Amino acid sequence: MTRRAVLAGSLGIAASTATSLPFLVPRYDHDRRPARSRVAILPATQYSEKLSGVLWDALKLFNLDVTGKSVLLKPNLVDYIPEAEINTHPLLIAAAAECFRRLGAKSVTVGEGPGHQRDTQLVVQGTGLEQYLKEQRIPFVDLNRDEVVKVRLRADYSRLRDLWLPCTVLAADIIVSIPKVKTHHWSGVTLSMKNMFGVVPGVKYGWPKNLLHWHGIQQSIVDLVATVPTHFVIADAIVCMEGNGPLAGTARHLDRIVLADDPVAADATCARLMGLMPECVPHICGTAMFLGNMSSDRIEQLAAPLTYPPAPFQTVKEFGHLRARAGLAAAAVR
Amino acid sequence: MALEPTCLALMALRLDQYANVQVLLNDQRPDGSWGAFGDDNEGSGLTGLALLALNTAGAFPDAATRAVRWLLGTKGREANWLWKWKFRTTDTHVRFDPDKFGWPWEPGTCSWVVPTSLALLALKQSFPCCREGKVAYRIQRSVEMLQDRACPKGGWNAGNGVVYGSPMVPHFDATAIALLALRSEPRNRLIDRSLVWLERQASSCPSPWSLSWSVLALNAFDNPVAPLQHLLETFAEPDETYDTATLAVAALALDCTTSGNPFEVVV
Repeated sequence: MTRRAVLAGSLGIAASTATSLPFLVPRYDHDRRPARSRVAILPATQYSEKLSGVLWDALKLFNLDVTGKSVLLKPNLVDYIPEAEINTHPLLIAAAAECFRRLGAKSVTVGEGPGHQRDTQLVVQGTGLEQYLKEQRIPFVDLNRDEVVKVRLRADYSRLRDLWLPCTVLAADIIVSIPKVKTHHWSGVTLSMKNMFGVVPGVKYGWPKNLLHWHGIQQSIVDLVATVPTHFVIADAIVCMEGNGPLAGTARHLDRIVLADDPVAADATCARLMGLMPECVPHICGTAMFLGNMSSDRIEQLAAPLTYPPAPFQTVKEFGHLRARAGLAAAAVR
Repeated sequence: MALEPTCLALMALRLDQYANVQVLLNDQRPDGSWGAFGDDNEGSGLTGLALLALNTAGAFPDAATRAVRWLLGTKGREANWLWKWKFRTTDTHVRFDPDKFGWPWEPGTCSWVVPTSLALLALKQSFPCCREGKVAYRIQRSVEMLQDRACPKGGWNAGNGVVYGSPMVPHFDATAIALLALRSEPRNRLIDRSLVWLERQASSCPSPWSLSWSVLALNAFDNPVAPLQHLLETFAEPDETYDTATLAVAALALDCTTSGNPFEVVV
């Protein structure tokens, strides 16, 4: 082992330790980690009607029981900026709705509360989602303006203690997070767990949901996902965003869809696909202590193997430490 | 009761004898603010809108005085010296001057464009002349804040114009509401550029909420809005169901050239 490798390894361990510092003292109700988590990485080079078939075949690998259950699809719709790869592609959302209906769901609803844009209809129309919602008669709920109930949080890292949350979210039997895979200048990454900020109602917390920022974005994500269960993840990693995300980054092809039955495993896998170290993303690290699995040896890959990109995703300077050195990342994956 | 649709509906029904302002009065909190909805136990950044609704509905001096008192006592967190120092020295990724502050969505958070614009409009309407002391100070500070946080090419996003070196893209409703709040200020380059942006974009706006706010702002600046009103009328398809807030603001936009624009400030 070279001195350089030892130094790089030490820096990695130091960064990981610093990252997990806010989460060292347990502030959650109980350990809910599954023994093993399942992830499927699917090759998909473009957005097309074929996504439905790809998704259907992959969902069968998970043996999901959604018969008679209400399913809420939570895409990642932040704002409408033409040509920018900000939002989950509508074809993937429509494909997910079709698949869950085929699996026997009692109802499938799409719900989102955009974090930046107050005009939700503008986002739904501008992204092209409205057309698919109409064609497939899929109901849509603006979570920013839904009826709300005050809920005690099941973790207390943010010190928020409780949040008002939409009734549609609380009433759903199955919640599916469908994030757009991208970097984020405040949280490092937007993946399935950061995507859940969209269930926090703007009518109470504003646009953006600034209270969560003041209480610590990473801590707020952990408390939120500890309280609102994400039962399944379908991550849009076909065209992603790198650099100054979530709004002003640049498009980057990964040509993948990632499915998982554990949001922590999903986000750890997506981060690795991006060439980033999940051990250095505080909210992934924090949830890995009680909610799901980050470690590769507890994640079962059901489809294509996890591979590492030739170059890590670009990030803003403050999150430069997330970018894994190729050798270290390959070792971590092994 | 949800505050935003209630206020907009009361304003849209201002000429209707059945408009029941009592609903709004009943939900005013003891400190003078309104929560975002009935059970909300904190003052909302939409309190300015509630005061505008009261002003539109008639004279309710007690409730209005208490609302003004709350507005004057509430400010964005960046107004605190400690956070001001932080935003000047270590936390500089968002380009803004923390000396220029307005109102937050929620107490304990930063100032944002929409709550600041609504509160500014409400204060200007409540004090059409003889603005002194704290009223004059807060109006001046929030006008400066809106000018400071505009997008580089005009218009307003949710709160800031430049983040991590990247210019933000304007939003229809934030731009329109900020322009309404600045209507009585001397015309300047920012106002002109923002009006040009809004006028150009509004004709292709596909959504009734954004288009309605655009009509209200352009109307306040005496720009012709008849074509945009016609466009807005075409959105009302039989199979569409809009939420109350959107319906109300659309009604206000369609009505503003005949029955008056409740967001205008008479100086």
